[in-house]
Amino acid sequence: MTASLRSLLLRHETILGVLLILALIALAWQSDRFFTADNLLNQGRLMAEVGLVALAMTFVIVTGGIDLSVGSILGLVAILLGVFWQNMGIPLPIAMVLGILVGGIAGLVNGIIITRFGVPPLIATLATLALYRGLAEGISQARSVRGYPDWFFTLGQGEVLGVPTQLWIFGLLALIAAVILGLSTFGRATYAIGSNAVASRFSGLSVDRTLLLIYMASGLIAGLAAVIFVSRVSTTRSDMGTGLELDVITAVVLGGTSIFGGRGTIIGTLLGLVLMQALKNGLALAGVKGDGTIVVIGAVLIGTILISNIFRKDADG
Amino acid sequence: MTPLVALKGISKSFVGVRVLNSVDFDVRPGEVHALLGENGAGKSTLIKIIAGVHAPDAGEIIIGGQPAKFANPGQAVKAGIAIVYQELLLFPELSVAENIFLNHAPRLSWGGLDWAQMRDKSRALLDDLDSHHLDVDAKVGSLSVANRQRVEIAKALSQNARVVVMDEPTASLAEVDVQQLLAIVRRLRSRGVGIVYVSHKLPEIFALADRVSVLRDGNYVATRDIKDVTERSLVAMMVGRSIDQLFPKEEAQIGAPRLELRNVSHGKAVRDISFTLRAGEILGVAGLVGSGRTETALTIFGITPATAGEILIDGRPVQIRSPQQARDLGIAYVPEDRGLQGLVRPQTIAENISLTVLRRLSRAFIVDRGKEVTLARDFIKRLGIRARGPGQAARQLSGGNQQKVVLAKWLAAEPRILIMDEPTRGIDVGAKSEIHALMSKLAQSGLAILMISSELPEVLGMSDRVLVMNGGRIVAEIDRNDATPETVGAAMTLVRDQEAAA
Repeated sequence: MTASLRSLLLRHETILGVLLILALIALAWQSDRFFTADNLLNQGRLMAEVGLVALAMTFVIVTGGIDLSVGSILGLVAILLGVFWQNMGIPLPIAMVLGILVGGIAGLVNGIIITRFGVPPLIATLATLALYRGLAEGISQARSVRGYPDWFFTLGQGEVLGVPTQLWIFGLLALIAAVILGLSTFGRATYAIGSNAVASRFSGLSVDRTLLLIYMASGLIAGLAAVIFVSRVSTTRSDMGTGLELDVITAVVLGGTSIFGGRGTIIGTLLGLVLMQALKNGLALAGVKGDGTIVVIGAVLIGTILISNIFRKDADG
Repeated sequence: MTPLVALKGISKSFVGVRVLNSVDFDVRPGEVHALLGENGAGKSTLIKIIAGVHAPDAGEIIIGGQPAKFANPGQAVKAGIAIVYQELLLFPELSVAENIFLNHAPRLSWGGLDWAQMRDKSRALLDDLDSHHLDVDAKVGSLSVANRQRVEIAKALSQNARVVVMDEPTASLAEVDVQQLLAIVRRLRSRGVGIVYVSHKLPEIFALADRVSVLRDGNYVATRDIKDVTERSLVAMMVGRSIDQLFPKEEAQIGAPRLELRNVSHGKAVRDISFTLRAGEILGVAGLVGSGRTETALTIFGITPATAGEILIDGRPVQIRSPQQARDLGIAYVPEDRGLQGLVRPQTIAENISLTVLRRLSRAFIVDRGKEVTLARDFIKRLGIRARGPGQAARQLSGGNQQKVVLAKWLAAEPRILIMDEPTRGIDVGAKSEIHALMSKLAQSGLAILMISSELPEVLGMSDRVLVMNGGRIVAEIDRNDATPETVGAAMTLVRDQEAAA
């Protein structure tokens, strides 16, 4: 019993949780504006898009892959939303659904390149990162779309029961993702593929289908994040989501998901995400400049992973 | 005669677990000293102590009469000790010569590498090993396992090794290559090199060794001259009890045809294969490495679907295009490469066993962990898997127990046809006979078993019938009563000669 308690205490998530609490205390002590309901909810609003994409990215990285194209998919869907609605006259609700579907198709294309043609995920999605961004810029012709109807802003700027709308969506999807990854047969297949894809195939798991679904989900959810993003900032531009993939990957890896695959949890990703957002906001409030914040986040990332590795080695003995 | 290396009273513990307990061992010049023991008996640790990888907690190492202490493997190399590890530690992208002289390449006066001398010396070393065909400029990655081993041995000799330790050198070699390796070892011995030879294969040890030492559970059991022991007494020393029968094949009721192949082909590796496998039967498949045995199994299992011909199960033609379909048709495949194809090593025993039956263990897509653990517990008991429990990671188990986990995973799927590819490769004697007994029991319960094996005694001992493959074809079908090393061996090599002549 003590052994399992010990291993629980040494879990990456526990270490991260402790670190998060320490960070929150330090940040609250630095600035009295940090630990207020208003600020915290607002931070939740800001991290929802990265968070949504990080949920799917956790699956992707657990399989041992990576999806660098999510930021570009977000930009592409954002542009298409404006084009569908304003230029093509499609009703906005339908344009939203279509946009998200385009995201799914973009993800599916990633999956097909990776599974059918055996291109390593890093290279496949590096290519589509450029491809989708190029499409977005080509379609937008550097114009931005504005003038969305008021109801549309409920999604990105409104509140339900005092909590930002997108936080509800994020919470719901996080719960679903946690159940799928942690408890379902699909989650089992995901971990098995990440640990040993060959043995998974030899055990009768449908490796290719699982990967296709995961990359498609990654695209779909990036599309959803795009719609929320547009609603939050009231406008559409083609450079939206540039660099998003790096924030997303940082949150997932900070959350203890192994970049080599086979290990990681949604809880970990949530902790990683919150820690990252708290540091960004808290340090800004404490008067640290933007570049200083990035340095701190980088240091925290390396630090957590080192600590976690030291304990893991110890535990394996 | 003064031993080249002598170990006296060596003990070693890892995190409180004692893996070697006061072990004595020595090697004399010009002898082959076999080191035997089951997996986990402490052979690897002992080798690593000789190699300077681990330092002993107690006891002393004596080199040529002088006590020595190795702080790192480099010092052991300087003392004339070379190790040929099982997983050959070579650099696939470098040439043969570069690999042999890595770290001690001959230099020119200004410090540059002396390539000409390096290549000449490599050539001489390889010729010395009767390996005239090996090109010193070839990339090691392009060589066969047998040739890589020769490179590794040449590397040992290039460091003026007087003691060569070989860790299961024949584990992944075909029979022909094994004979050549044995010849190389004899040649080294005649030049006065002391050889420590670790192997599970008793026939090799009787063919080669002068003395044999046995370890069991980290304890030193005994050292004997080879002429004073028999196969049976060695096994008893290793296992600590006598094993009545090495191949516990029991008669089983042979029933209706389960699996039938008619002119099945896949590319060049599987050509025009036809055979029938019946319920309760163990059908052995013999042949050299690369003869198309594994490829045939992969075709039946849907990894490389058949491009021509017909597969029938219970008399009905079926299409098998993926492992999922094969599984759903009641076919199970225990693969050749346990670590790569069989196990998800970081995951637990329970998670590994449930992989083939996830859907059956779940309700509304949620895996029932209770059922999963119960299933694992059942199999741990039924197959005698030695583990702390269902939650232990598969990679922490010994080879034999890992193989049992792979077998459990497939038995959980309740197959009607079981294909076992090298079922006991790299497994110690005790676990081996347990797996053989299990195969007999499974056949008796009506399972149809196709057993691919490179170990002739296993094929002869366990099979009701033997198929011999070569060049992707079945070249002979021999009944149990007519199967002898001569008949099977002749069938394996006869066609080879014909192909060479053609």
